[in-house]
Amino acid sequence: MAHPNPNPNPNPNPIVPIATGRRLIALWFPYWAGETTKIPHDKTQSFALIDHYKNAQRLVGLTPLAAQMGLSLGLSLADARALLPDLQTAMAEPMEAAARLQKCAYWLQRYTPWVGHNPSSDGQTGLADYGLLLDVSGCAHLFGGERALLADMQARFLNRGITAHAAMAGTVGAAWGLARFGVSAKTDPQARRQIIVPEGQEAEAVLPLPPAALRLSGGHIDLCQRLGLDTIGDLAGFARRELTRRFGPSPVLRLEQALGQAGESLNPCLPPPRFFVRHNLPHGVTQMEALAQLIGDLCARLATQLETSGHGAQRLDLSLTRSDNAVLALSLPLAHPSADGGHMARLFEERLSRLSRGVDAGYGIEHLALAASRTAPISGPQETMGAFEDAPNKTRGKRRAAPIAALGNLYDRLVSRLGAQVVVRPVPHASYIPERAVKLVPVLKADAADKKDPQSLSANLPDPATRPLFMLCAPEPIEVIAEIPEGAPYRFRWRRVLHEVSAAYGPERISPEWWAGLTGETPKHHNRQTRDYYRLEDTQGHRFWIYRDGLYSRETTRPRWFMHGVFP
Amino acid sequence: MEPKPAAPLKHTSKSQKLAKLRRLVARFEPGVAHGPHIQTGFADIDAYLRQQVVPAGLPCGGLHEVVATRVGDMPAALGFAHRLAVRFLDRPHTQDMLLYGQTHMACREAGQPYGPALPAHGLSADRLVYIDGARLPDLLWAGEEALLCSAIGCIVLSSWDEAPSFTASRRLSLAARAAERPLVMALGAQAGGSASAATTRWQVEALPQQGWHVRLAKLRMSYTATPPPEGWRLYPQSLSQNSAQNILQSQPRGQAASRTARAG
Repeated sequence: MAHPNPNPNPNPNPIVPIATGRRLIALWFPYWAGETTKIPHDKTQSFALIDHYKNAQRLVGLTPLAAQMGLSLGLSLADARALLPDLQTAMAEPMEAAARLQKCAYWLQRYTPWVGHNPSSDGQTGLADYGLLLDVSGCAHLFGGERALLADMQARFLNRGITAHAAMAGTVGAAWGLARFGVSAKTDPQARRQIIVPEGQEAEAVLPLPPAALRLSGGHIDLCQRLGLDTIGDLAGFARRELTRRFGPSPVLRLEQALGQAGESLNPCLPPPRFFVRHNLPHGVTQMEALAQLIGDLCARLATQLETSGHGAQRLDLSLTRSDNAVLALSLPLAHPSADGGHMARLFEERLSRLSRGVDAGYGIEHLALAASRTAPISGPQETMGAFEDAPNKTRGKRRAAPIAALGNLYDRLVSRLGAQVVVRPVPHASYIPERAVKLVPVLKADAADKKDPQSLSANLPDPATRPLFMLCAPEPIEVIAEIPEGAPYRFRWRRVLHEVSAAYGPERISPEWWAGLTGETPKHHNRQTRDYYRLEDTQGHRFWIYRDGLYSRETTRPRWFMHGVFP
Repeated sequence: MEPKPAAPLKHTSKSQKLAKLRRLVARFEPGVAHGPHIQTGFADIDAYLRQQVVPAGLPCGGLHEVVATRVGDMPAALGFAHRLAVRFLDRPHTQDMLLYGQTHMACREAGQPYGPALPAHGLSADRLVYIDGARLPDLLWAGEEALLCSAIGCIVLSSWDEAPSFTASRRLSLAARAAERPLVMALGAQAGGSASAATTRWQVEALPQQGWHVRLAKLRMSYTATPPPEGWRLYPQSLSQNSAQNILQSQPRGQAASRTARAG
């Protein structure tokens, strides 16, 4: 015993339930390989799949019937034959079983888009473990609640003759453990019970389970057995630092993950992209010119694929794999769906040349892959790029690209060189505060933003002529030298230049939006006071838009003045 | 490249040579004489252009520079550039976009175009694409790219303190001529004055009572015309018909004081 008292009091690690806000389903298929195999066999008799491992032919897949007869995974074939002389056997096909599981994962996307494979287990026992994880946060109500969802899922598996153990919990670790150890498969092989752990109660559900439910390695499980730690609760009773000293970091991490105290991500398995081209090179390429040429070829091939199916790419993903397996990935959004290989190639060329550290080809790039990860149907094959044949001596008689496509191509090129946040379009926004009345939205998102703004101020827009053609990025404080209360200044200093005002018009009073606090937006500090705007012209003929921040003697005693814009 | 004014008598043979060379060069250059052109909308300038140059207007295919005379005149220069751009865009049955690009410095110093004010200056806000700060070489590159795009009707680039080199302006000028699309380059007072291959260069200065003093500093369309050195005094009316109100309502100092005194 490492510790005389496995449950020291007071407990150094109070187990506080932490609501993760996620709902996860772990599915475990204990007889996946045996139940789904296509190898013909007599279904009424026991059947097992065998494979070589640990220096013997051993059982790696069973049917429920065989399990009932007392066989277990990992048993050597000789022992199994001694138990069951008429056992039907066949060689296992692990690759095909995995492929069937992948297919099943795609099918499960009918419940949630977020279906992932088992998180990597620490224990590599050599036996394949077939299970899937589903993140069903926010999906259960579509199927009539969590219980109905699980029942529906299990009924569908049952109809196909597949044993599926399911558990739903708030963490990956708890769901994984409960699916496998929540109900003993040995005592009740046909059990298809569903386990649902309400949010925040993972601790109660997990602590009685054996330590193996924590996804520990074989060595750790053995150690737990030797120490007499039969449940996770025993393990959790120790101080975490002692556990770490004895076992290494893994059990503590797994424990915290199961209880929701440590985060764990789930990678969804996504179907391979439909439009995908790749190129393997016998020798690595280091020269940028050659690389650009290869990327151009890939783009042309992808464009052919896209064009024949009437699609245009909206997003391109390029990955370059070096000979030392380092991967450089580039992703490129397009403003309009495009099936123009030349255009894509130019965008990549531009993008690669703008990489801040350049492309580090190392000992050479050996593998190039290009995928159109988001596509949209386009009508008809695209003309070759209008932009480059627009020179008048070439275009005579030739059709020009549709303006919308030409504009999209231009946006793509500008964005790939200048950056997405730089190429913008003004989109009106419902606000009376001048600097908030318009938003500069990146062109790639501007179309969506145009439609989104439901409450426009079109009914009572300010007269455009009263607004400056050029607005400063931020109001700049000015030093007013001669002023009269409640009036425009006579003389002021802006950017160290003195201006004598010869004409003034105003004030236009703009109050802070009193409803901003109600809708949850907190107004910024400079938006909390009433502004009086004046349009001024100085003796030189320069025209300004200035405001005084705050009402005299009501909101402030020393109002500050700001320059906000200039008139042409 | 600037045509020399009044050659001395003993160099007559040289001026003849120059004239011959100019005729020769005119044959190689993409012509501006036949391309589309616009009227600026200012009667005096249009009258002058009609008399002096071949296309009888401002050619669409060309690089036009608008330079602020003093530091504070950049808004006026940008306003004039915007006015030219709107005239270039104002062709029937087109919904071409205006690409407006600024260097980082111009963004900070001269401000960004303000969407709600655009209708008063003859442009609907949804026809504007704006480059919100870039280095000058990137901006010139963007201008050249945009010249090749059939959906862009006019390009305005503005720089506060550095001007494109002669080579760059020559390149842009040729690209604009080939594409028959205008590129308007607005330059701050610190950036003006360097050599450039622009088709026209306008010097703009703000005048009291919403006026501009515009001088045509350079005219490359004709070798004989010398623009009037005194320039033109322009008082642009508001472009849109529905807002007849002037940008600033002039108010004598005394009146303003008495009004505000009453208010106080």
